[in-house]
Amino acid sequence: MLKVENVTKYYGNFLAVDHLTFEVKDGEIFGLLGVNGAGKTTTFRMINGLLDKTEGSITLDGLPIDYSVTDKIGFLTEERSLLTKLTVKEQAIYYGILKGMEEKKILEKLEYWLDRFHITDYKDRKIKELSKGNQQKVQFITAIINEPKLLILDEPFSGLDPINVQQFMDVIRELKNKGTSIIFSSHRMEHVEMFCEKLVVLVHGKSVLAGELKQIKKEYRKKNIHIEANHIDVEALKKVEGVLEVLVNETEMVVKIKSDENVKNVFEFIKKCQDVTKFVVEDATLNEIFLEKVGVNYEN
Amino acid sequence: MKTKLKFLIKQSLKKKIKTKWFKVANILILILLIGVVNIDRVISFFGGDFENSTKIYVVDEANAYTLFEKNFKTLAQSLEDLGNYELENTTKSIDELKEEIKEKDSVILNISLSNEEYIKANVISFDPLGTITEQLLQTSLNGIKSAYVLQNSGISENEIAALTSNVSISKEVTNPELEENAEGHNIVSSGLIIVLIVPFFLLITMLTQMIGAEINDEKSTRSMEIIISNVSPKIHFASKIISSTLFVVLQALILIGYALIALLIRKLLTSSFVGTVPEEVSGYVSDTLNMVKNTGVLDLLLKGAPFILLLFIFSFLAYAIVAGVLASMTTNIEDYQQLQTPLMIILLVGYYIAIMASAFEGALFVKIVAYIPMLSFLIAPVIYLLGQISLLELVISTIICGGVTYLLFYFGLRIYKVGILNYSSQDLWKKIFKSVKEK
Repeated sequence: MLKVENVTKYYGNFLAVDHLTFEVKDGEIFGLLGVNGAGKTTTFRMINGLLDKTEGSITLDGLPIDYSVTDKIGFLTEERSLLTKLTVKEQAIYYGILKGMEEKKILEKLEYWLDRFHITDYKDRKIKELSKGNQQKVQFITAIINEPKLLILDEPFSGLDPINVQQFMDVIRELKNKGTSIIFSSHRMEHVEMFCEKLVVLVHGKSVLAGELKQIKKEYRKKNIHIEANHIDVEALKKVEGVLEVLVNETEMVVKIKSDENVKNVFEFIKKCQDVTKFVVEDATLNEIFLEKVGVNYEN
Repeated sequence: MKTKLKFLIKQSLKKKIKTKWFKVANILILILLIGVVNIDRVISFFGGDFENSTKIYVVDEANAYTLFEKNFKTLAQSLEDLGNYELENTTKSIDELKEEIKEKDSVILNISLSNEEYIKANVISFDPLGTITEQLLQTSLNGIKSAYVLQNSGISENEIAALTSNVSISKEVTNPELEENAEGHNIVSSGLIIVLIVPFFLLITMLTQMIGAEINDEKSTRSMEIIISNVSPKIHFASKIISSTLFVVLQALILIGYALIALLIRKLLTSSFVGTVPEEVSGYVSDTLNMVKNTGVLDLLLKGAPFILLLFIFSFLAYAIVAGVLASMTTNIEDYQQLQTPLMIILLVGYYIAIMASAFEGALFVKIVAYIPMLSFLIAPVIYLLGQISLLELVISTIICGGVTYLLFYFGLRIYKVGILNYSSQDLWKKIFKSVKEK
């Protein structure tokens, strides 16, 4: 289990991380969100032992982060952190040995993962010769080759097509089921919603939203109602009590309401319309919650 | 961590040796060295006239051949490495001779008497005359003219001989500190300067380029984050310095190996062409070695070798440390190229001072510079071999260099730790100075 307790980081007089606290249990996927400059990279670097914290403590399974502990951490950076002149095999050996593995074990694991990601033929190819998607696969393999206790994934799906995203997701879930603690960061909120059980949102290094995703959504009272019907008087709908906004799409209409108590009012209005084929009440999206808490759209 | 350090050194070394440029450059250096050492054979092979002698047909109408021959041979002998000459006193006509010298490296010299100038000469050659040949002919003919004038002035033969002979100068040096063979010593030492300095100058340049490229490669690809999360910056820094230093040492050994191969080839070529290679050329290496031995430079070199070697290693390390620190402060190779310019200037300054050291014999400035680390490895060995500083002074210079190299590592590591994870050029120098103060 990773425990980040009251961690603060100053760069000179600049406060990068402000009393941040969270924990990631074994077999849990945790979302670390924030716009650029929020303090995510600094937090990742502190967890990886790359930066000393100004205050607080970070432990993995009760042990403070040092070079004996970082061998148990897998880190997939946002940028491609690969030595592009090396071959896939050389790169895997390079990072594997640095994580304290033996070459024989690295090669065994490499064979398995290359096969799993259908890139066995690229083993002896230079990384610079691979496509972006395949480079991302190699980077992912090097992050998990040591069967890490803690896996940090910063934008893991960048450069991947939907099929490969699904493949990555399957592997991440598999690792979670094996007990790996995973910290996940992405600019795609649907990925965060799909994966994370818990999350923290950073703004200027400070946590503005933290907790279990389900609970956060539950506590956030605003809802979205998806409606499909004919001849709806949009202007009249906007005047219904509790309606905040009405968005008209090609196929449906999304009505944003103040709280679930207002669902009834909207339903009363809609049932008078013709050919109602859809009336679905959903929680607000994580992006909407983020927008309200942070004041900017996360995915922009 | 030791295993990781060994692995990083091995990887870094392997990466450098496996490159195409390393293989290509070494093949070219080998070919170049073999070519330079066997340059006379190469010229001969392509039809050059390196060993052909120039034949001079003398048509003597002034009865001056004997004196001309004497003058010419004396002069040519003193310049024997510059060419070989063959003289023939001939009675053939100029027209006949003109036919003979066609497309040959031969010259017709027609000496005749003149009422106004006592003696005059006409030189005919197929190709334009070489400068040396022209000078030899000119000086020899001037000698004849002087003798001719003196002869006609009623002075006896002995008096003429005494008058035309060179003034004999006997040399005596009173400095008790100078060795018996001081002049030869200077010549040999000056030669050694080139042999010692140029390769090390090139190797240091290579070293700084490599270390910068490697660190920048890891930084620009962000691999540095993964690497440093698994090995400490100290281990990483040490691995870069050690591997680069090992590489240049390896390259130096390869160069020595190439030189031996080139000499071996020369020996094989010489033995298979016995009779065609001039004696003075085939014995060149042994003559040089004998000269080095006789002048006492070899003794000096043997006594100082361990310290010279240490000085070189400390200096390699010092340059590698500074290059590593500079590379850590930059995010791409272009920035590094700019930042390392002062380092290259320091190296160039050392190079020029070392080259000029023999000209500024005993200058205090040169002696002081010989104690300054990063310059000392170029200057101290040179002025030690020139006899301008003692072994003790060489040892002191080595100790200073070793100490400063350690301090460079100690403080450089602090900058390196901050630099390798810094990707912004904003407040860079502020960050650097701050990191030096922080433990």
